[in-house]
Amino acid sequence: MHIPDGYLSPSTCGVLYVGAMAGWYSSIKRLKRVLLSRVIPLISVFAAFSFVVMMFNLPLPGGTTGHALGVTIAAIVLGPSGAILALSIALGIQALFFGDGGITTLGANCFNMAIVGSLVAFASYRMIAAGAGLTSRRRVVAAAVAGYLAVNAAALIAAVEFGIQPMLFHDASGTPLYAPYPLRIAIPAMMIGHLTFAGLAEAAISGGLVAYLQVADSGLLRATSGVAADGDLGRSTAPSLRRLWIMIAIFMLLTPLGILAAGTAWGEWSPAQMTQTTASAPSANSAASTVPAGLQRLSNFWTAPFPAYAPAFVKSRSFGYLLSAMFGVGLLLIVSLAARSWAAKSRGKESSA
Amino acid sequence: MTPLFELRDVCFDYDGITALREVSLQIMRGDRLALVGANGSGKSTLLRILDGLCSPSRGSLYFDGQQLTAELLQRDDFALPFRRRVALVFQNPDVQLFNPTVFDEVAFAPLQLGWSKEQLLSRVEQTLEYMRLTALRDRPPYRLSGGEKKRVALASVLVLDPEVLLLDEPTAALDPRSQSQIVDLIQEWKGSSKTVISATHQLEIVEDIADRVLVLEAGQVEAMAPPQEILSNRELLLRANLVHAHRHSHNGVVHSHPHLHSHSKHEH
Amino acid sequence: MSRSFLESTTLGFGRALTRAMLSEETARERGLLQSLDPRVRVLGLFALVLAVTLSHKLVVVAALLAMSVVMAVLSRVTLFTLAKRVWLIVLGFTGVIALPALFLTPGRPVAALGGLVITSQGLHTAALLILRVETAVTLTTLLVLCTPWAHVLKALRALRLPKEAIVMMAMTYRYLFLLVETANQMFESRRSRTVGVLRPEEQRRVAARTAGVLLSKSFALSNDVYMAMQSRGFRGDVQVLSHWRLTMWDWVGLLSFLFAGSLAVWMGR
Repeated sequence: MHIPDGYLSPSTCGVLYVGAMAGWYSSIKRLKRVLLSRVIPLISVFAAFSFVVMMFNLPLPGGTTGHALGVTIAAIVLGPSGAILALSIALGIQALFFGDGGITTLGANCFNMAIVGSLVAFASYRMIAAGAGLTSRRRVVAAAVAGYLAVNAAALIAAVEFGIQPMLFHDASGTPLYAPYPLRIAIPAMMIGHLTFAGLAEAAISGGLVAYLQVADSGLLRATSGVAADGDLGRSTAPSLRRLWIMIAIFMLLTPLGILAAGTAWGEWSPAQMTQTTASAPSANSAASTVPAGLQRLSNFWTAPFPAYAPAFVKSRSFGYLLSAMFGVGLLLIVSLAARSWAAKSRGKESSA
Repeated sequence: MTPLFELRDVCFDYDGITALREVSLQIMRGDRLALVGANGSGKSTLLRILDGLCSPSRGSLYFDGQQLTAELLQRDDFALPFRRRVALVFQNPDVQLFNPTVFDEVAFAPLQLGWSKEQLLSRVEQTLEYMRLTALRDRPPYRLSGGEKKRVALASVLVLDPEVLLLDEPTAALDPRSQSQIVDLIQEWKGSSKTVISATHQLEIVEDIADRVLVLEAGQVEAMAPPQEILSNRELLLRANLVHAHRHSHNGVVHSHPHLHSHSKHEH
Repeated sequence: MSRSFLESTTLGFGRALTRAMLSEETARERGLLQSLDPRVRVLGLFALVLAVTLSHKLVVVAALLAMSVVMAVLSRVTLFTLAKRVWLIVLGFTGVIALPALFLTPGRPVAALGGLVITSQGLHTAALLILRVETAVTLTTLLVLCTPWAHVLKALRALRLPKEAIVMMAMTYRYLFLLVETANQMFESRRSRTVGVLRPEEQRRVAARTAGVLLSKSFALSNDVYMAMQSRGFRGDVQVLSHWRLTMWDWVGLLSFLFAGSLAVWMGR
């Protein structure tokens, strides 16, 4: 599932790098607060461990073999931030040193497997195992299901990334410039392999490891179990916040799909488009063939900085869409962050992250 | 004279196990002390407490008259000089060799302690030469033999020229030649102002590396005396699980008495 | 099948180790790439990978591949090594993926193969994909073969990557081989105690148990390493050493890389 260089266009890679960097940055901040300087040896050794797990050629039902990712057990033992970093480092070494996965696509690979994978694994594990005792069988099942879901979520995102390439990036004659298969081929092709092999491999190793740890070293399961040493349930607000981020990022990535829709959305016409539309609609009321005077006057009142969602200097429509999406989200973020800190300051308290 | 280290009733528990029980002792500057005990007797824990890496669960530890606490070690003005003066060589060299190459390993400590580049480079070269590691300077740790790893581990602390050397099993798992090299090195420091505290379960080197022996059993101090006294106390050694008695034969005669085995010798 | 799990995994371990060995040997040779400052190597080869991704023309990517081959030969990397370690593997993986594109891409038909029609667009896109991947992997492999890992990381540091990331990558790499060896030993001892064929569930249990033991050991190791770091003065803000000087030759090299990359992008747009 490690995407090599050349499968994704530079703009796709760029956007996913930005997404990955956001994930890395917030993970490091969170970990440093909790673990301080212990982060370095803990994440490094765990990354080495994930690397080794990725090398296991696991026998699967049906007589085949598959490779696991190790992202689920990382999320269960270290929590999502630790898992994001550990997996990213393992992926980085695989890309750089072993040529497994590209350099331009490292951001994409980390986004799909390390970030989305960790979050889905963690969220599903917590949801399914909620309230169960540290050594209960439900945790084993939760780990296995979480692993299955995480790998397939990562595969789905990758499939979408592949699938939008031919539509957005092709030359004049219609030759796809990067991954050549559209969504309707890319998604089933990717998912079949992961729903059957990789997903099961991850489920097997995650469930198996949790079962082993329950007997041999259950302390390692405690950190994310929601059961603190004295029995109190832990907080679970942070994962949902990050999940929100991920959803936003995904929707941003999907914005260029809008180009697929032909024509202009109903009611969003410019004056010229309006005359055209109403003129072609057979209607008893022919008075609507001219544009209302008020509409005409006000239509030039405000010229958007990015008309048609593409800044003038950007030639590619799809990249323009992506840029606009990022810009829009960024603006919203800044405004809401500013509002939040203003509100907190006026309350006289320091805002905590 | 203030003792360099003073422990008063130090206890250490973790995970429900008591690793150290009411250990009290004084170590003076220039002492050469051997901590002997079977595996699990608390030797490593004691060394780590002396190096400020673990805090005692109960009791107090004093270094050069100051009480060593976690808070004190948070302060740069104490911690940096302390880390230079006191050095610990871990039992497992893989733990201590976490840098990409031998050179980086030896340079790590001076770098973290803020030495200037020139000072650092010259001192690292000096240390590499002293430990005969110059040819291995660019080797990654996984390509080193056990003896070489131990020498690098030693070099990585000797580069600081520390006052106190805490050695955890310095000769364990080494071939005889590497073992004798390490013992020679420790003997070189005899009479210098260096304080050397070695933890070992290998009784045959104790006389060479120490003037005083502390026997630990199940986290408690069983005895403290010069080496000859300890080594001749059969009962004590048996109790501390440092020697064993079983039936064996010499020259065709079968008998049984306390003795210790070493790699190649069998002594009575 | 039973032995295949333990065997194939240990084979994978062995491959990782041989790759590291090969990299160290080649890095010591005296060739073109080895003569350049590691930072120039990293920047230059990354710039070329970017150029590969940015070019839209087949002929430009092919030219970049040719350039990589020339650099390889001048850096004492044999074509055989490249073929074995890069080209055949990429062909096996990306080649298989690109094959259906010959038939599935809509466009102008140029040939027919037993009922299936190959379009020129299909040919073009498959060729472009395969060539791109081959070239990019060749370039990254060259970088790693000609540069000791420690230098790669230091070069990345000099290029302003955050030092925590660099230190973590260095430590991960270092302990990778230790864990691989530990896992290998566990597998070896298991194999020597295995009589006959293990059922798949048993194999999975062996895998889980090995991973579990490895996990516990990893944790203990990370705790001990942390103590070892603290003992030598690490207080959270890790310091790294850098001691490279750029010579005239390095500047020439860097400019050549950037020129070639820019030319490729411009001609391939």
